[in-house]
Amino acid sequence: MDLLLAAHIVKNGLLIGGIYGGVALGLSLIFGVMRIINFAHGSLLMVAMYLAWFLWKTLGLHPYVAAFITVPALFGLGYLIQSQIISHLFTREKALVVEPLSALLLTAGIFLVLDNLVLMIFGPDVRAVSVDIAYANFFIGEIPVNIPRFIAFVASIVVASGLSYWLKHSNMGRAIRATAQNRDAATMSGINVPFIYNVTFGLGVAILGLFGALLVPFFSITPTLGLSFGIKSFIVVVLGGIGSIWGCVVGGIVLGLFEAVASQFVTATSAAIFSFGLFIVILLVRPKGLMGKA
Amino acid sequence: MFGTATPLERGLIIIGFLCLLVLPFVITNPYHIHTATMIVYFAFMAASWNFVCGYLGQLSLGHSVFSGVAGYVTVLMFTQLGISPWIGMLFGGLLAAVLSVAIGSLTFRLKGPYFTLTTIAFAEIMRIWFENTDNFIGIPLKGSEGLVVPLVGDSWWAFQFNDKTPYYYIALGLLLMIVLATIMLEKSKLGYYLKAIRGDQDGAEALGINPTKYSLIALSISAFFTGIGGAFFAQFFRYINPERNMGIDMSIDMAIMAIIGGQGTVLGPILGAFILHPIAEITRTTLGGSFLGLHLVIYGTVLALTVLYFPQGIIVPLRRILARISGRAKK
Repeated sequence: MDLLLAAHIVKNGLLIGGIYGGVALGLSLIFGVMRIINFAHGSLLMVAMYLAWFLWKTLGLHPYVAAFITVPALFGLGYLIQSQIISHLFTREKALVVEPLSALLLTAGIFLVLDNLVLMIFGPDVRAVSVDIAYANFFIGEIPVNIPRFIAFVASIVVASGLSYWLKHSNMGRAIRATAQNRDAATMSGINVPFIYNVTFGLGVAILGLFGALLVPFFSITPTLGLSFGIKSFIVVVLGGIGSIWGCVVGGIVLGLFEAVASQFVTATSAAIFSFGLFIVILLVRPKGLMGKA
Repeated sequence: MFGTATPLERGLIIIGFLCLLVLPFVITNPYHIHTATMIVYFAFMAASWNFVCGYLGQLSLGHSVFSGVAGYVTVLMFTQLGISPWIGMLFGGLLAAVLSVAIGSLTFRLKGPYFTLTTIAFAEIMRIWFENTDNFIGIPLKGSEGLVVPLVGDSWWAFQFNDKTPYYYIALGLLLMIVLATIMLEKSKLGYYLKAIRGDQDGAEALGINPTKYSLIALSISAFFTGIGGAFFAQFFRYINPERNMGIDMSIDMAIMAIIGGQGTVLGPILGAFILHPIAEITRTTLGGSFLGLHLVIYGTVLALTVLYFPQGIIVPLRRILARISGRAKK
């Protein structure tokens, strides 16, 4: 394998991996704080992408402008899903501890509803946003770097840094971390835990609003793309260690590089086999993930 | 054989079974018989899923791998070796059971959502592999195109019938088998072990129950039945492909029918299939292609409502209502 090809593979893996990491951030945050595996995670990304596409189609908004609408819209959607649907699970269970499988099933129900509502409204056709920037490149040496992908990659680093700074230094961030560590103690210190849950879920979903808008310039959309993104996000979160923000970015990059290398040897569709295999191996061998704490 | 069922419930079960038995004499429209067969088939699949997952309290979303593999074995043994699908079905079921032990011995050490995600991963690996493999050591799998079972005409040996009615009775026979197997499970030590593991795995282990061993026994029986179901599905449509017979949609259908009906009970999964599959059929036929996916929106909504309000399945409130009726009748 010559050096240029290797550099290409690494570049592709890094870019797509960073994006995987960014997409998985919300899943990791929600799991870390609420101990809920959100099965509808990928579907919410799909909804965000359709929203960005719809805004482009009807109003002619550039996806990067549409992000200013998709982020608050998805925050609202996440907030509503948590406060109106999932919160019932928390109030039913004692001590605000949710049996993990009920939450998984509940969000699986949301996944079915979202995927098929979008299918009913927009049909099974593949949609794409065509904007000029999609084919723009800049060069590092001889290697072309696709600008929209690079923007999405940078966005995930920025979001991860911003999120971890905000969690550390803001009052709301401290309240979220306190709730994640010990719900009862947090409640006793005067933290409104149900509200924190709503905000956390909303925030986790709002990140998908951003990536939905950033992905559409180079990613065509179908109603069924959610599940594969969802599963990839699970892989990333497990790789990086659950609840770890930077672990998520690292996990994403590991998965991206792994896929980029694997797809040199087999077709891109078969390469998914290796991602699933990696996921199983990590779960069995090192369930805490690469960067997870005990 | 009815466990804790009240006389009213026993009566209803017997009436329900008799209705199913005489159904083909009442309806003659082949389309309706086809639908009835599919309902019974899904009841069988949900009950097979329930056999391990319901009693063990673990959520598998990868059971379709067993139905798919056994379906392929059956079809390939028929087309390549000329072996009757009845025998192929048993081989397929056994292979599914062996495969389940291989998968289960790895995944059963994981709990809750981790177990679920790994079962998805295993099933997806198999599906993607089948979809991208045209020829495996000389066996023509034909990738995503799938395999067609050649038509030989009305023959019990070839598991092919011009009429839909024999398929219906075969499905009903399978359903009866899994119901009897589940009743036996409930009474057997294995059933109690599984419930003990579901309740408190560490406690069960402390009492000398080997959780992995008994989970694997139950899983292999469940996989065997699921495989038989997969073989039936392939024969019924005379066609098999990885997407339909091995895809995650099939796993989700099996699991949510059992969960909505009531997992860990004999009749819950069957109730779930008899409620949900007709919804799918009705939306498909009355609304046609214009509302693609509507039935899954309904499935999802019912699933969410069930998890929130009847976490043990619809069978629980239903039995409560029946108990109230029979209580009133006594007065």
